[in-house]
Formats: sequence, structure tokens, C-alpha cells
Amino acid sequence: MNCNKINLKEGINLHIINTNKFKTNLLAVFLTMPLNRENVTKNALIPMVLRRGSSKLANIEQINNKLDEMYGADFNCGVDKTGDNYILKFYMESINNNFLPEQENILEESMKVLLDIVFNPLTENNGFKNEYVESEKENLKQIILGKIDNKSRYAYDRCIEEMYKGKPFGLYKYGYVEDLEGINAKNLYEYYKKMISECKIDIFISGEVDNSSKEILESNENIKNTKERQPIYNKKSEKADNVEQERVIEEKMDVSQGKLIIGLEVEKNDKGSKYSALVYNAILGGTPTSKMFQNVREKAHLAYVASSNYIRHKNNIFIRCGIEIADYQKALDLIKVQIEDMKKGDFTEDDIKNAKSSIISTIKSIPEEQDSEIMYYFGQEISEHKMEYSEYEQNIQNVQKQDIINIANSIKTNTIYFLTSNN
Amino acid sequence: MQIIENSKVKEKLYIEKLENGLTVMIIPKNNIAKKYIIWATHFGSIDNHFIVPKTGEEVKIPDGVAHFLEHKMFEQRNGTNSLDTLSAIGVDANAYTTNDHTAYLYEATDNFYEALDEFMDYVQNPYFTDENVEKEKGIISQEIKMYEDYPEWQVYLNAIKCMYKENPVRIDIAGTVESISEITPQTLYNCCDTFYNLANMAMVICGDFVPEEILEEVKKRIIKNENGGEIKRIYTPIETEINEKEKVVKMDVNNPLFTIGYLDSPTSENIVKKHIAIQILLEMICGKSSELYRNLYSEGLLLNELQLDYEFTGNYAHVLITGQSKEPRKVIDKFKNEVEKIKKDGIDEEIFIRTKKKIYGRYVMDYNSVSDIARMFLSDYFKGINSFDYLEEYNQVTKEFVTQILNEIFQEEKMVISIVESR
Repeated sequence: MNCNKINLKEGINLHIINTNKFKTNLLAVFLTMPLNRENVTKNALIPMVLRRGSSKLANIEQINNKLDEMYGADFNCGVDKTGDNYILKFYMESINNNFLPEQENILEESMKVLLDIVFNPLTENNGFKNEYVESEKENLKQIILGKIDNKSRYAYDRCIEEMYKGKPFGLYKYGYVEDLEGINAKNLYEYYKKMISECKIDIFISGEVDNSSKEILESNENIKNTKERQPIYNKKSEKADNVEQERVIEEKMDVSQGKLIIGLEVEKNDKGSKYSALVYNAILGGTPTSKMFQNVREKAHLAYVASSNYIRHKNNIFIRCGIEIADYQKALDLIKVQIEDMKKGDFTEDDIKNAKSSIISTIKSIPEEQDSEIMYYFGQEISEHKMEYSEYEQNIQNVQKQDIINIANSIKTNTIYFLTSNN
Repeated sequence: MQIIENSKVKEKLYIEKLENGLTVMIIPKNNIAKKYIIWATHFGSIDNHFIVPKTGEEVKIPDGVAHFLEHKMFEQRNGTNSLDTLSAIGVDANAYTTNDHTAYLYEATDNFYEALDEFMDYVQNPYFTDENVEKEKGIISQEIKMYEDYPEWQVYLNAIKCMYKENPVRIDIAGTVESISEITPQTLYNCCDTFYNLANMAMVICGDFVPEEILEEVKKRIIKNENGGEIKRIYTPIETEINEKEKVVKMDVNNPLFTIGYLDSPTSENIVKKHIAIQILLEMICGKSSELYRNLYSEGLLLNELQLDYEFTGNYAHVLITGQSKEPRKVIDKFKNEVEKIKKDGIDEEIFIRTKKKIYGRYVMDYNSVSDIARMFLSDYFKGINSFDYLEEYNQVTKEFVTQILNEIFQEEKMVISIVESR
């Protein structure tokens, strides 16, 4: 096992990935909780408030000065949806002690600072610092409204939103402006205390580290003070609404290019079908030899971006295309032909071989990047299914043509979303 | 082969200039599964006026040819496309065009040598027809339109246009829908003959290789061994005055974007030292740990940290500071005041030392992945720089030198402003 999982307390796990491929150590703390309408905005706001100051480093300047002293250690945080769970992510990347000009132990120091930011926030009057909460509410508002700034991303988010209307996965990960008014320093802190005592906690360390980091962590005050728990999070996820006829959504904005997104629902969902779906996606739109790239881009010249991606946790495929607005019907018809051809089994053994070798090379590349490797093991942690790279590769190799055809025939187009221009 | 060793990051660079003029750089990395190769010609969007060596004819080419050529190089005489061929054997191939070079690359965990056959063959064998050139115009038009919808790209390009009146750096790398319509197979062949000669090219290889062996493998695959000699490029005169003070456009964005640019004079002397000094200065003035950043952030005037860049070739050089703010003008004013204040009060010793530490850490982090390493050595090579120099010259950058650079570059009359406002 490349990744050594150590249970620190019930609901709190440490995962040590010992690798000598990098000049840096990467630490990550992931807090996992159910994704729901009630808490999504508060959850999005929490990392923004936490990064403003801890009880030891009370403001951004102090935190950043400290990081600069540690040869530019890089702190980062963000939020993500994984299936129907909401994940708060906190990262600290720092130079491995072997590459420092002087003898220092930056790893230990990095852990301290990171855990302090997450578990030991700056408080006043039994709440977060009011100034931080108020200014971050305004920032979050701008981020939520700024959803339109990246048009390709916006179209993709909107398609998911329409497909999962009223369901957890359809929520916008940064939340909703109307929730902000009701949030204050006190109730947010109350919520934080409850959340941090119930969520699933996973701590990752990747780098040239040994099990001594376990002791360092166990002796850390913040870990000592964090109680064991039966973590609350979703192990299953809600499917998109069944639709008889695909939904077509059109929205207008000031764009030069139309952005077409098609959300597909893979109905087949048994053991092994995720691997077949991955191969299906690679043939449909995952590689330069795929049907989308070859037929929509190379042969019909309708697009520069013509691809698809598979979301494993939701069993969905999203087709993405940037096209001339007048070409909408032409492009849509052509894409539908690709989906139909997949159903008829109109692809070759070579296509399957190409798709597999592309996926396998992606698998082999996972340990070449610290964050991808962490995300690989975290994904397994959430789905409670341990699998080494070799087994993953074998599962891909085992996919047969008939498996892919079966997937193709279980696929239903759910939502067609088109972002078009005002005129 | 010449061997250059760096003790700080514990890496070695093997460098060889072949008789045909091609420069090959190899950075061996043990324990790494991913192999990366990048091969580039010193031909980018700014090289639009030159003398064709074969005929002695002086030509001016339409905007966007280097990028167009990048798309078309994959096309083979036998009707295959090398991108497909490479993708089919599971290697991840790509290409990109910058202002001063065009690069072809792939990364592989398996089948590296099989891929090398195809890779080196297609870069040396152009095949253009009326038909294949025509069809690419539709695809690239969509690429251009995609960029038109990116506010980040618009704010950047407008800042460049403010600084330069004639320098071709102000041209969009991909050209315009109109300019690419003029491109013919002959245009492409002329450029290929001129710029795709080995003496104008460089190759960087990074991964688990024995340098002597991989060098032999490369040599074996070279088809035409002649040295094409010096290329005569006709450049516009170096610009010392800004073109216009500011450019403001409106787009469908929630948060306005802004870029502050400072026109600088290109130098060949002490360029690495100067670049390090500029990075230190930018961090000190408005980086994440600066007082200015803390103030702007607490006042809600900045959503996120600023992006700080210094771009340069032998013909242009400029500093760029980019960010998002609901009130860009206020940020710009405060930025200007801060620059004047630092000029007046001098550079704080403690902050200087701390910032230097941070910059050092960032240089070490650059050596984390084979792709980052190869791309860095390549783009530095075309600027006449060996990337290790940043780690070597870092210690020679003194407070006095940084002060001198501060006064040289950050001058009000050399400053331009580009803003993308909300509609």
C-alpha cells in the first residue's frame, strides 16, 4: 500500500503517502459533511473566515509573514462537491527539509500552522471576529455573483444545476446571496463548532516523511482537543430526476461564442460499470481520437473544444462544446449521432484499445503529482473502496466491447443547456 | 555533453549543441515514472516580418501564422494525424504557441520510444494542402472566439496594446478571424522553411533517462542534418514610450478586472538578477504579505491576491499586475501611492530578507514536476537564460540593487491601465 492509513481517533484519520518524487511536502486537511441547501453558504464562508486569522496568527499579514519565513510555504483552501458531500479543503505546501539552505524543520512547523488555522480560529465574544465575518460575507457575495465571469464554467455549472434541481448536487458550491444576511459572527461560530465536531476528518501528508509525523500529529494540541465522533456524511447520492423527454434550457448573455453542455445520465450502476463508463466516455469525448473530437471538431470544424467528462461519484457524463451560435442545431444533431453510434456499437477494437491506454496512462500519472495522489486516496476513503493502482488498471483492461455497448444503451440525455448571445 | 550541476535543488543539466545546430537539454530524474519531451522552434507570434533564406525575399505574414502552423503540423501526408497516433498509444501529446516560440510536446509513462518515432517525424515533415488549411480556419475561429469571451485575456491584451504602438507583441497570438482567412499553404511552407530549421530549435527532455542514451536516440531520428544558419528577422524599433495611458472595455462580468502595466527597456545584461529583483519588489509592494494587500483586502477592495508578472524578450519588457476589484481605480491609486512611499522611505531590511526567502522557496518548488522543469528550461533558453541561474544569482541580489530597479521601472509616465468593467 502506497498510502498508510492510521486511525487517530474515531472519525479522524491520518493518511501518510511516503514518496521521494518531490521537492516539497504537501499537507492536506479535508472536512467532509453532507451537502445541503441549509448549510451550503455557511460552509462556503467558513474557510474564508478561518484563513483570516487563527488564535496564534491573528491576521493575514501575520500568517503570510510566517509562511514567507518558512521559505514561501503555500497555504491554500477551498470548497468542493464530491457526490452529495461537501468538502472543505485546506492545504499547506512547503519545501522538503533536504532542500533548505539551512537546517530547519519546516514540516513540523507547517503542520502546526495548518492545524491552527483549521481548528483554532481567532474568536471574540464567543464568536468569530466580527470584522472578518462581515468582510468575508461581502467577498463571498462577489464570488457568488461572479459565477458569470467565466462563461464556459458558468454554462457547465448551470447545466448541473438544471439537471439536479432541488437536489444536493444541484447546489452552487459557493452558496446563495440571500443566505448571507442571516449569518453573523456568532451564529457562524456556533455552526462551525457543531460542524467540526461532527464532520469526517482526513489529514494527508505526502512527501519524504516517515511515521514520526504520526507522533508529531498525535502530540499536537489541536488534534488532542478534537473529539472522536461518528462522522456524519452521505455514503449514497441522489440521482437526477428521470426525464421522459430531455430538457432543453437556453440562456442569453453577452458572448461571442455559444457554449453547449449536454448532461447524460448513466443508468447502469453495478459493480464494474464505472470502469465501462470510463472507457465509454474516453471513446465518446475523452481523447483526441474520440468521436466528439474527430467528428465535431476535425471533420465538421464546428468547434475548438469538443469533449466530454465522466463524474464517477454521480455517474454522469457531460459533453462540452464551444460553437458558432448559428451552428447550434447542426452541432446538436451531430452530437446526437455520436451518442446513437455508441449505442449501436459503432466503434472498433482499436477505439477500445486507445481509450484504455489513455485511461491507464492517466492512472500511472497519479503518483506523479502530490495533489492527484491525495485525491485518489481520498476518493477511495469516501467511497469506502480501497484499490491499488494495479487493480484499477486491471479493472480497465477487463472492460469488453459488450460492456461499453451496455453502458451506451443505459444512457439517457437528461439536459441540454445552451448559453447563447443576446442578439 | 556539457554538464551543469545545481547543488541547491540537486539536479543536473546535460546540454549539447549538435552539428546541425539543434540544442538538446536533458535533465535526468530517477524514480519518476513520467517522461516528458518538448521540442520548440524560436518562432512565435511576434516573428511576422523576415527574409526567406531560400529566396532572399522579404515577407510580412498575417497575424496568427505561428499558431496556425502549430495546429497544422500534426497533419500527415498519408492522411493520418499525429495527435491521434500519439494519443492512440497512450501518450499525452500537445502543442502551444507563445509570443516567441512554438512548442510540441508529449508526456508518457509507457511507449516513450514508439512515440518518439512519430513525434520527431511529424515535427520534421510538414504537409499542407488547400483543403486541410481551409478546414482549420473554422476550428481556430472558435478558439479565437473562446478567448474573446475570457475577460482575463481581454484585460491582458489591452494592457499590452496600451504599452506598445507597433511591436507585434500587441497582436493576439491566434490572430483574428479575418487575418487567418488570408493564410494559404504557401504562407505556412515559407514559415516552416525559415523557422523550422534545427539551428533555430531546441529540445528539452526530462525523466528517468541515461543522458548519453537518449541523446543517441534523438540523433538517430533526425532527418535533415543541415544547419539552416542565421535567420534575418525584421523587428520594429524598441519602444521607450507608452502608446496610450488607458483602455477600458465593458463585458458581462460581475467583478471588474484590471491590469497595471509598466513599460520597461529590454536589456541583455544582468537579466536574471533583474528578474529576481522585480519579483522581490512586486511581492514587497503588493504580494500576499504586503501591508498594501492587507489593507486593500480588509477594505473589501480586492477579492483575491494579485497576479504579478514580468515578461520580456530582446525586443520588449514589461511588468504586469492583474486583479479583480469592484473599484479598480481605487486600487490603482493606492498602488501608485504605495510605490511612491517605498521610493521615498526606502526598502525595509527585514521585509526584504523575508521576501527573498519566499522567492527562494518558490524557485525550489519549480523543480517538482518533469513538465514544469522542461517548460521552464525551454522558455528560459529562448531568452538566453539557463534556469539554474535563478538559484545561483539569487544571493547576489542586494537591497541596493533592488532599490535601483525600483526607481528604474516603476515610473508614472511608463505606467498604463487596462480595465474590463461590468456592463
